Amino acid sequence: MQVEGDRLTVTGTDLELTIRLTVDVGGERDGAAVVPARLVGDIVKALPAGAVSVELHDDEMSISAGRSQFSVRPLSLDDYPAQSEPAADAVTLPAAMVADALRQVVRAASTDDARAVLTGVLLAADDDGLRMVATDSYRLAVRDLPGTSVMASGQSVLIPGRALNELQRVMGDVEELSVRLGDREATFEAGGTRLSTRLIEGEFPNYRNLLPSSYPNLLTVGKAAMLEAIRRVKILAQDSTPVRLTLGGDTVQLTAITQDVGNAAEEIDASYDGVEMTVAFNPDYLAAGIDAIDSDDVTLATMDPMKPAVLRGVGRDDYLYLLMPVRVP
Amino acid sequence: MFVSERRSSATILHADLDSFYASVEQRDDPALRGRPIVVGGGVVLAASYEAKAFGVRTAMSGGAARRLCPNLIEVAPRFEAYTQASRHVFDIFRDTSPIVEPMSIDEAFIDVAGLWRIAGTPAVIAAGLRARVADEVGLAITVGVARTKFLAKVASGVAKPDGLLVVDPDEELAFLHPLPVQRLWGVGQVTAAKLNERGIHTVADVASMDPGALTAIVGGAMGHQLHALAHNRDARRVTTGKRRGSIGSQQALGRRRRSRDEIDVVLWRLVDRITERMRRAGRVGRTVTLRFRFDDFTRATRSHSLADPTAGTSTIHSTAVAVLDTAWPLVEAKGISLLGVSIGNLSDLDAVQLVLPFERKDAEQLDTVMDAVRDRFGRGALQRATTMRGDPGIQLPMLPD
Repeated sequence: MQVEGDRLTVTGTDLELTIRLTVDVGGERDGAAVVPARLVGDIVKALPAGAVSVELHDDEMSISAGRSQFSVRPLSLDDYPAQSEPAADAVTLPAAMVADALRQVVRAASTDDARAVLTGVLLAADDDGLRMVATDSYRLAVRDLPGTSVMASGQSVLIPGRALNELQRVMGDVEELSVRLGDREATFEAGGTRLSTRLIEGEFPNYRNLLPSSYPNLLTVGKAAMLEAIRRVKILAQDSTPVRLTLGGDTVQLTAITQDVGNAAEEIDASYDGVEMTVAFNPDYLAAGIDAIDSDDVTLATMDPMKPAVLRGVGRDDYLYLLMPVRVP
Repeated sequence: MFVSERRSSATILHADLDSFYASVEQRDDPALRGRPIVVGGGVVLAASYEAKAFGVRTAMSGGAARRLCPNLIEVAPRFEAYTQASRHVFDIFRDTSPIVEPMSIDEAFIDVAGLWRIAGTPAVIAAGLRARVADEVGLAITVGVARTKFLAKVASGVAKPDGLLVVDPDEELAFLHPLPVQRLWGVGQVTAAKLNERGIHTVADVASMDPGALTAIVGGAMGHQLHALAHNRDARRVTTGKRRGSIGSQQALGRRRRSRDEIDVVLWRLVDRITERMRRAGRVGRTVTLRFRFDDFTRATRSHSLADPTAGTSTIHSTAVAVLDTAWPLVEAKGISLLGVSIGNLSDLDAVQLVLPFERKDAEQLDTVMDAVRDRFGRGALQRATTMRGDPGIQLPMLPD
């Protein structure tokens, strides 16, 4: 925590991800201290509404509000990792657009640290604009931002999904987001908050040849109705049981059967052009894909029950969510 | 109906193919239709309904059958055809409901609870199942429908041949009690005779007895079971979970001395067959075990466990070869007369989240293609070049794994 004049800067880091926030305070004397983050955070949150005063003495920091009084032993200021200023040039982007894209893509990134490359979101620039891609090897989300440029065409970076999750949380409702992409680090600034993250090294899987040019079977359903149906049927999809979609005719049937527990079935109106088939999906992955789509109606395009299926929004060709089925006997 | 559909309505199907082997023969050879035939020579493996009318029964000797029915036609068994037909029928079962409990190659329980909205009432589903088996496989199948497995099986027995019988929950005892005691599960000729001697002929007679008296006649466990069944108490569910702990196959090699090349061919063939069955059954395994019988009839097993379960032919084959390598000095010293391979530590592949094919392995693709070709054109249609040499051995029909 660092006070300069009437500005307090709070910085937190785990060496990979660093978040820095600047707020206006009533500063009496400049100074800096390192304090245990969770402890101090818990204290301040618990205090009654109103002004909080923080004073640093030699070996203790006192925090008080109303009649409450805490004192916390600070950590060594010298041991705190040095903070570097980002070197790369800043590009300013509409924050709402980036937030929307992150919401759609980051959900597909892996959280398994054993597969570091898949925990990242790929930002790739080409002549048309920027593309964001994430996959955990079960599903793949691709969002195009045409006309957006943050680096030279042909370049790409791999940003940890965890950092981008945090970015969505700290962005708030600012209008502009500034982005700096360095060789080893990416820095985002939104209002008084700056988030820096190291980049992931390694080669992102070649996803391009997975994106099909055409599909023989196309289902169109209402987004809200489908999400509701999955939410209900999922109750009976326990122990990684999939939800089965029976396609054919002008309805789609969803079923979940968990041995020795029970069954769930629901039918919703749909339009379908293709051969009759049953295809099964992990209900969470399926719901996540549908939820990500910004349209009232979504399409599910399939080849067969063993091949990746593609979710898109009707009238939106800037986003797709590729999902591998669950093979069922 | 909110209390429990399972308990209050008849949703369990017992589907049983009629005179299975004999029906397949009559299906495939029009000249046999309407005639009394048996499958098997020395011993009757199956008899057509026309032969049964003469009193011919399964497991009877061929001679005894001919004496009962002079015009009897005997047909050599074609197990490959029966396996094929069974597989088709089980595909229809599994298409009807995911909860299928195989009892044998020609018989299964199917639970259709919860499918009402999608597929109609159990009676409609059962009729549809019978029509599909007739249309798509060309065989007659009898289906009993009831609230319990026991009653469903009794119903199919009563409805045979080529019938459908639904036992309404309100009429269960009325249906059950007039039946002879032989209809109770577990009552064979011996038990039936013991009961008949004491004037107990019908299920109603059993139901009216004191459990203690029943136990005194037929023994403790059987007594309790009969008492429960006669009172229509059967809480067993249809479970797909009765699964094998391992899948294996073996081949006798005779007394002749075999070269390593010849043994390698046999090993390929065994692994190929087992892994195909595993994939069909949706199972994966971790432990590869080789069984050897030596010329002096002593036996040995050697095994190796993999890090991850698999049903991949090439992975399991290379593991099996490594196990054979270590055992080879012993095999050479003692001479081998039988080689078996089994895959243990099986787990279900019931629902497998498939992975995006970023880097699909060639071997995996080969397995998929081979399975698909064999599905369509039969097992003999596509072979590994290595296994073309030597005697292919016989494959008996098996329960689906």
